[in-house]
Amino acid sequence: MLDDKNTAPSTTTSSASGNIIMVTDGVNIPDHREWRLINAWSLSLGGAICALLALCFIWPDPYLQVLSFLPDGLMVTFEVTVLSILCAVPLGLLTGLGRISRNSFINLAASTYVEIIRGIPLLVQIFYIYYALAKFLQVSGLTSAVIAISFCYGAYMGEVFRAGIMAIPKGQTEAARSLGFNRFQTMFFVILPQAWRTILPPVGNECIAMLKDTSLVSVMAMPDLMQRGRSFAAKTYLYFETYTIIALIYLIITLLLSKAVSIMEARLNYYDKRK
Amino acid sequence: MTNASNADPVIRIEHVWKYFGELPALQDVSLEVFPGQRVVIIGPSGSGKSTLLRSVNRLEDIDRGLIEVEGVDINARENDINKIRQNLGMVFQQFNLFPHKTVLQNLTMAPRKLRGVAADEAEARALSLLKKVGISDKANVYPAMLSGGQQQRVAIARALAMQPDIMLFDEPTSALDPEMVGEVLDVMINLAEEGMTMMCVTHEMGFARTVADRVIFMDKGQILEAGTPDEIFEAPRHPRLKQFLNQIL
Repeated sequence: MLDDKNTAPSTTTSSASGNIIMVTDGVNIPDHREWRLINAWSLSLGGAICALLALCFIWPDPYLQVLSFLPDGLMVTFEVTVLSILCAVPLGLLTGLGRISRNSFINLAASTYVEIIRGIPLLVQIFYIYYALAKFLQVSGLTSAVIAISFCYGAYMGEVFRAGIMAIPKGQTEAARSLGFNRFQTMFFVILPQAWRTILPPVGNECIAMLKDTSLVSVMAMPDLMQRGRSFAAKTYLYFETYTIIALIYLIITLLLSKAVSIMEARLNYYDKRK
Repeated sequence: MTNASNADPVIRIEHVWKYFGELPALQDVSLEVFPGQRVVIIGPSGSGKSTLLRSVNRLEDIDRGLIEVEGVDINARENDINKIRQNLGMVFQQFNLFPHKTVLQNLTMAPRKLRGVAADEAEARALSLLKKVGISDKANVYPAMLSGGQQQRVAIARALAMQPDIMLFDEPTSALDPEMVGEVLDVMINLAEEGMTMMCVTHEMGFARTVADRVIFMDKGQILEAGTPDEIFEAPRHPRLKQFLNQIL
């Protein structure tokens, strides 16, 4: 008995002004108006947790062993994700502002950045920064992972910021300017606080996609969740067991994060409806 | 006081041209507004009346001509348009209240951030303005919870909160349900009686007749006729104006 809202694979979010931002990666952000116990989100989360517990309870050897080997990796995954979000969101904001800038140089620079980054796979970017750039300067694995991921996601988020800012009616800018606010003040006091509501779900989605993509840094021997799993599997040849656990852990984290984004989204709607 | 031709005009518009692409929106428009004067601009849609009003606080850039507000050329680069706009209150057809701020915050935001007014002083002033426009009981709600007429009255109060010398109204009642037009016009009439200099684009001929010192009729980007309400409504001369009045009255 799932309705359309749950089965739709899209990650479409619509704002009060009726504008729609489509994001094709990440996960499905649950609708905060969806209160029923049985829906796609609760089924997935419940299923994943039950599966994890059942496996560890019924066959502690090897599943519990795999699980106990992973917490260090999980911390690295979180570290890379959080640092990358802290860099990518401001970078995305700057890029989005650059893309709508009237200054043609800034506009061109931001647009070129987006074009280049979007045209290169993240895995190639990670290799490039870690190995190719090592010819000129040595950076640690963590640094290059954060640089690569935040540059990549900064470009994607730039588009989200741009769309969110453009979705605010022009009258808002005119009202602020007519009171005497300059461009900068108008953007930060009037436009961005409103745009944030449209921007948050897709940005949250990008952050979740980012968490998943941090698994790519395992290729440069960063001891993240994926890399820890790989080394455990290489030692024990327990490929099926290891990657089952890894997949369940990623799934549980992304589902929890998507719920968090959904709750934040609901909070940001405070001024929207007649309560 | 009303037609004080001996005083200097607060708004001087001289030979202004404005194009939207090839289309001339304003063609050689000249107009003077004196302190305390209420100028109402009427005309069919697309006649350039809103464009003219919006040029006065430079929401539209003009292509040729001169616009001075209180003796300052608003299009000159050396003059800070943001300072000039602080003295020009503007009210829009679509209200354009800030939806993420409460009614009170809508009124206090500009005085606090632009004039550095202290929070309690700004709030006290905002509350007295809300009382003046008759919605002091809605100070702490968000604009989405107000009716159109209430929103527009808040918008007028927001513009007044900056204590402007001149108020510009761009079809303030055109987006309202008919039963809410009166409450907004009442606020504007009060304002006029207090001696506020006003420039108003409207389709409310009754308002133009009772409040205006001077009525301007525009068509196709030109001022075709200007005069007192009696001259315009009782003895129109230009055939286009006669036709326009016949259609709407």
